[in-house]
Amino acid sequence: MGEGEELMERRFSREDLLKLAAAAGGAGLLAGRAGAADAALARLAKESGRLQVMDWAGYEVKSLWAPYLKKYPGEKPKFTFMTNEANAFAKLRAGFKPDVFRPYVGYVRDFAESGFVQPWNPKLISNFKNLNPIMVKAGQYNGKQYGIPSDWGFDAILYRTDKVRPTAKSWSLLFDKRYSGKIAWYDDLNQLVWAGYYLGFKQPYNQTDDELKRSQKLLISKKKLVRMFWSSETDMQNAFAAGDLWIAYAWPADWVAMKAKGLKVAYMHPREGPLSWIGMFMLGKGTPRPQHAHAYADAWSSLQSSSWLENNYGYGAANIKARPTSSDLLKVLKLTDPNAVREPKAHIDRYMPRRAVYARLWQEVKAS
Amino acid sequence: MAGRRRKRLDLTTPGLLGLPLAWLVAFFLVPIGIVGAYSIDVFSIYPAKHPVTFAGWDDFLHSAIYLKLFWKSVRMSLIVSVLVVLLAYPVAYYLALGGTKRKYVLLLILIAPFLTSYLLRVLAWKVILGSNGVVNSFLYWLGVRAHDDPVSQLLYSRFAVMLVLVYVWLPFVALPIFVSLETLDRRLLEAAADLYASRWQAFRRVTLPLSLPGVVAAFLFVFIPTVGEFVTPSLVGGTSGYMYGNQISDLFGTGFPDWRTGSVLALFLLGVVAVLTGVFSRFLGMRQAGAR
Repeated sequence: MGEGEELMERRFSREDLLKLAAAAGGAGLLAGRAGAADAALARLAKESGRLQVMDWAGYEVKSLWAPYLKKYPGEKPKFTFMTNEANAFAKLRAGFKPDVFRPYVGYVRDFAESGFVQPWNPKLISNFKNLNPIMVKAGQYNGKQYGIPSDWGFDAILYRTDKVRPTAKSWSLLFDKRYSGKIAWYDDLNQLVWAGYYLGFKQPYNQTDDELKRSQKLLISKKKLVRMFWSSETDMQNAFAAGDLWIAYAWPADWVAMKAKGLKVAYMHPREGPLSWIGMFMLGKGTPRPQHAHAYADAWSSLQSSSWLENNYGYGAANIKARPTSSDLLKVLKLTDPNAVREPKAHIDRYMPRRAVYARLWQEVKAS
Repeated sequence: MAGRRRKRLDLTTPGLLGLPLAWLVAFFLVPIGIVGAYSIDVFSIYPAKHPVTFAGWDDFLHSAIYLKLFWKSVRMSLIVSVLVVLLAYPVAYYLALGGTKRKYVLLLILIAPFLTSYLLRVLAWKVILGSNGVVNSFLYWLGVRAHDDPVSQLLYSRFAVMLVLVYVWLPFVALPIFVSLETLDRRLLEAAADLYASRWQAFRRVTLPLSLPGVVAAFLFVFIPTVGEFVTPSLVGGTSGYMYGNQISDLFGTGFPDWRTGSVLALFLLGVVAVLTGVFSRFLGMRQAGAR
């Protein structure tokens, strides 16, 4: 059975089977039989229930998937929120079965190997041809398209230009003691990754034990300068806007949000290179709504949704034809450059064979 | 006849205890057993098969970082519990023994904050303690601090966590103390007065010892939940207010899940709390036996 056929596989209801059998058996005898068969086939093609989407809070906004509603009027997806990939993994493990969810590129292989997902059929996504090929490739595992790229952006440094005078364009701004108590790091194991780039390691995403110890030591020694490890973007933005923070490990959307609040801010790409990421739609294994799921990913990939994302969230869209209307945004976030996401310009998030070790060491940084 | 009565009695006890016991087993003991199984890799969230191992326990018991964090949380929780009891006692004393006729109205007012969401009560402190919050704005107005130089330790700090916890738990703690004072036999105070005890002596020798069960219960009411607290520290704690409960929560749900270590930490906390509760209960039992 081919991939496409597999996706189309349905459970036949008793009624549908009877109608099909009757139609087949009495073909030509009764004109109405063919009509009954068509109706039964149409019913089979129609998937039941609302599409279950698990996504990050803030991505349930209709503008991001409006074309989906055009295709399936009145069938608004049902959203469940994930706080991070571990949270998504725990939910899947607990038996939750979303049709679609959206981890980031570094976790494509983890989820593909977990048995909770199945590959997409790109032929069912009309906008697939417009997606950035670098990102499309990043969504593949074992030659199959497990991830459909949605958006991308950087992990870099947001700072107040009226309060902070950086001495260098470097990750070291995140532990500049002149601004002790005004700095925020992100609560994630990839803090060990930027520390690795700062320390000049060859493979910061795959550090040796010794390198990891050094990265951890750096973070522990500088932790006292840090006011908060943020896990909620809203919390960080509120603290930044209230003046509790002047420097933060942040995403492009945070720069957009702080600018909108009238703060004088800059988004620094450190000379060691920013980290970068790509959102990836993944398809739940055995989903009963594969057509809806593909239509949803397709809607996200449309020019309309992609442009809205860039204009309003300040992230790049995987659709290379999309452009934000603001030239400022275009320049600062490097949205015109399809290569901006990868080496040598940025260090793209990737599968980390030692992720568990990184996670444990990061927990120790927080606990220390 | 006697046999029939005995049979009825035999059914009454399990009948009454059956449901709570089943509840306890299904929603407390079994989940703890499952957590225990995760702590030694009998269960694992990863699909591959794992041998049973005590490595998680070994790592934890030899980890200075986790144990240090645990004692930090215990210290914070102890300070909060003592402060709350000290602050709640006079309030409960006034309500129970002050002779006011409106004590139940006042008690209702005391617990009125419970009518609002816990989250809201915690978040409200951000408005008070932030750089542009009520306290700092007042200091700017007084000229004590410049706008560029707010008191930053007010928020996202260990102080903020303890302050908020004291605020949140104060009404809750006043209740058991109030009950123990309310049920005090007033004739004992009259007898103390007849024997020329001063008010302070009567309090120290009669009221306080007899209200100790309420005080200890109140202390435990605060200590047990706050030692594993993670909501308040995650909202107002920042890096320095990070507690043991946050670590457990993070191990189960952040970065990359480590349910084995998370289970070990959770069970250790449960064990310590159980031992402390046992010690306090024994202390109370001994005191009550001594009083008899």
